[in-house]
Amino acid sequence: MPQWFVKGLRRGVVTTRYPAHADSSASILPTPPGFRPEELTSQIADSLVQICPSCALTRAGDELIFDAGACTACGQCRESAPRAVATSGEFELATTDRSALVKRIPLLGEAGQ
Amino acid sequence: MTPHTPVTGSSAGAASADTEKAAAEALRRSVTSQFGRSLHIRTLDTGSCAACEQEIRLLAAPHYDLQRLGFFFTPAPRHADLLLVTGPMLRAFGVAAQKTYEAMPGPKLVVATGACALGGVFQPDAFSFGSVDQLLPVDVWIPGCPPSPLALLQGLLVAVDRLAERIPRLGFVAGSES
Amino acid sequence: MTALVLFGIAAALWALAAMTILVAGMAGAGIRVSCGLSALGGAAVLAGGVAALLSGNSRVVSPGGSVVAGSLQLQASSLAGIFSVLLGVVAMAIALYLPRSRKEPSAGTALYLCAYNLALIASLAVLASGGVLTFLVAWETMALLCYLLILHRPRSSQVAGGAFWFLALSEIGFVLIVAAFVILAARTHSMQLDVIAARAHLVPADWRDTAYLLALTGFGFKAGLVPLHVWLPAAHPVAPADGSAFLSGLIVKLGVYGIALFAFRLLPDGPAWRGVLTMGVGAVTAAIGVLYALGERDIKRFLAYSTIENIGIIVIAFGAAMTFLSYGQRALWAFLLLAGLYHVLNHGCYKTLLFLEAGVTEHATGTKDMDRLGGLARVMPRSGVIAFVGTLGIAALPPLNGFVSEWLIFEGLFQGFRTHSHLVGILIVVAAATLGLTSGLAIYAFVRGYGIPYLGMARTRQAAEATEKDQPVAGPALLAMACVALAVGAPLVLVGMARAIRAATGVVLRPILLPGKLTVIPAHTNFSGFSPTYLAVFLLAVMIVPILIYRAGRPRAGSEVAPVWDGGIIAFRPRMQYSAMTFSAPTRVTFEALYRPSVSVHRASDDPAGRSGPVHYESEATPIFERYLYRPVVRAVEWLADLVRPLQSGDVNLYLLYVFIAVLVAYLIVAV
Repeated sequence: MPQWFVKGLRRGVVTTRYPAHADSSASILPTPPGFRPEELTSQIADSLVQICPSCALTRAGDELIFDAGACTACGQCRESAPRAVATSGEFELATTDRSALVKRIPLLGEAGQ
Repeated sequence: MTPHTPVTGSSAGAASADTEKAAAEALRRSVTSQFGRSLHIRTLDTGSCAACEQEIRLLAAPHYDLQRLGFFFTPAPRHADLLLVTGPMLRAFGVAAQKTYEAMPGPKLVVATGACALGGVFQPDAFSFGSVDQLLPVDVWIPGCPPSPLALLQGLLVAVDRLAERIPRLGFVAGSES
Repeated sequence: MTALVLFGIAAALWALAAMTILVAGMAGAGIRVSCGLSALGGAAVLAGGVAALLSGNSRVVSPGGSVVAGSLQLQASSLAGIFSVLLGVVAMAIALYLPRSRKEPSAGTALYLCAYNLALIASLAVLASGGVLTFLVAWETMALLCYLLILHRPRSSQVAGGAFWFLALSEIGFVLIVAAFVILAARTHSMQLDVIAARAHLVPADWRDTAYLLALTGFGFKAGLVPLHVWLPAAHPVAPADGSAFLSGLIVKLGVYGIALFAFRLLPDGPAWRGVLTMGVGAVTAAIGVLYALGERDIKRFLAYSTIENIGIIVIAFGAAMTFLSYGQRALWAFLLLAGLYHVLNHGCYKTLLFLEAGVTEHATGTKDMDRLGGLARVMPRSGVIAFVGTLGIAALPPLNGFVSEWLIFEGLFQGFRTHSHLVGILIVVAAATLGLTSGLAIYAFVRGYGIPYLGMARTRQAAEATEKDQPVAGPALLAMACVALAVGAPLVLVGMARAIRAATGVVLRPILLPGKLTVIPAHTNFSGFSPTYLAVFLLAVMIVPILIYRAGRPRAGSEVAPVWDGGIIAFRPRMQYSAMTFSAPTRVTFEALYRPSVSVHRASDDPAGRSGPVHYESEATPIFERYLYRPVVRAVEWLADLVRPLQSGDVNLYLLYVFIAVLVAYLIVAV
């Protein structure tokens, strides 16, 4: 019993101060992708839809529909098209409305890369 | 308070859906104000890989310490205010999930967390419902695979209206974040 | 004089009841008339007991007898008065219970009822006896009649075994009682109890102590002191419910009466070790009684062990009283005697009630096994409430009567420091600590004893279909009211008993005992005070506050009815509830050294999950007294009998030779 008490006194407070202040560990978390619409061509969009293992990406005409709720932050989309997809760094994704997690990304890239 | 028919997330009838959403919002706000600054959480694993459970368990550890925010874990649904559901709602678990939900006295909240519970990863088939809201009425969704304890904390605080949602402002477009 | 007249009326009524049932047979009216007469007899005894309490020892009446048997000597003593009150209440309650419980009369019922009424007369004779011979004859008659009562359903070896244990231990006890009485009668040259008491100081001290020890052991067989108690759990389950109620409610108390007779009337003055020994025996009895009670599934065996526990409590009080007297603390002597006798009265009431309710349960569901019952309070509401009153009483929870008497005993024991002896003071504190352990375990045991059968969900179809229609309710209800009256009206009861104590011991307790009309002071004013009446009123009043808060603050919306939370199991069956044995498992683990359970597990297959067949689990507590005490004694007796057997050769010539030798020896002794 005295051991952890002394150790605790030496270490100081380890509890995060989130949500009052940002937590330092947030920067290393894997997060959903952030897309660059100007780099997204129809071809790339199709390949991204194929590659997503959790069916978070679908095509609808000239839009890429991204379901942030289904995304597992695996990073496959980013690795396959690093110019078109970066990491978003967003982890505070809670919502009361499921449909708000479904985002539409326009495909503004030139076809035929 | 929560509509007792499962919300399927369809956006048919946008205008009526908006008013419905607004009404549900208002109702939820009035209910969550009743909880004050204390909430008892009952976790429910409907067939997940337990990664979400490990993150949820970390919430009670000294670093994240959800008790300083007034949240407590309880195993008894009779004492719980909020049901934290993970997993793709396996059909074999349906009866147990229904019983747990009904054993909680109102007012109650349901929070679905993890990509499985939100409908990703597994499609509805012979073994699973696919997502939690096929069976239970969900109030708050927390994405992640698994959601980090910080994401869970944000989700719980959104559920009790102590933090605003950030999703409406996010577009997942690189370089144009707010 | 009035008390004896009333006792005589009661005996006549009971004799009439016995004859009525023999003559009228099993016609419905016959039972009702007989039981009505029996109840009237009970009322007469009750009145007589109260009269005896208040008027002190009456003179001895000898209504004749024969030269051979000695004269019949009757006396209504105040000590017996308290036990007579109990006899009256128990007789009335059982008489009210009998008609409805015997709706399907069998061949033996008429004889049973006849034997029962005669047993009542015999018990009354034991209490009203003023002389040694009357006492012994009445005692033996009572024991034999109770043997007949236990044997009412003699179809199984278990019944015969239980009855045999009762008779065997009763006879051994009788021998010791005769020895004790013979010592006193021989030394004081009198057969009248009054005269023996007056001349007790003439008996040499070691003979006095021997007589007391013989009496303690002899009456201990009947009262159920450990290790002389083994007949109780054997006989109670096999006797019919009212027979068990009579045994536990009254017969066991006759053993206590015998101990009280020797300890307080015939041989009051004695060395301290007598009191300490008695107290120690009582403490061991109480602890072992409740510990074994916790391991029982059969309701009647459970109640039998609980009786043993309560007898232990009474004997602790008596032993402490004797200890205090040997240190000159006369007020505490009288006070603890009062508390012990009060506990006798209380225990008689609620134990009889619980046994009668066990009979109602057995009749309604066909089983005595707690694990086959459940939810009875919902299907049998009146019985549930009455059994609850009895349970509160026996668990010694305020505000009922068990609490009052146990509290008084505690208050007496806590004053052990007044003996001014370190050793004895510590021993009294140890006894008080044992009493505390016993009380705690008793609460635990009776939460189990009431909760498993009466609360929760029904575990079997029989329990779910039980009904209260045509079940006896008047008898148990009378006892429930008596329990409440004894609690709330404790000051009145104590006033009456203080009069009796004054007659029995010569100590005037009344002014110290009840200074204000309603507060009880334990013998010394500078120690503590307690008011049972105020406590009862206060508890009821305090319950109003939460009720008011609830009514004021409850949510206005309606409430929801949801199924019980079962962990989300798909097929929840009521058998998955707590069972009686799992509820008491913590004590079995803690006191494993006492129980020494033998566990056997048989699996139908090797599958560790038990999927391919049932798993048979059996656990039994080692019967240490039967195995390590009684069996060696029985073997020794058998060995002795084998030695002697050659004498019984069957040869007439050899027998004639024995007669010749015996006559020769007799001549020589007389001549020399």
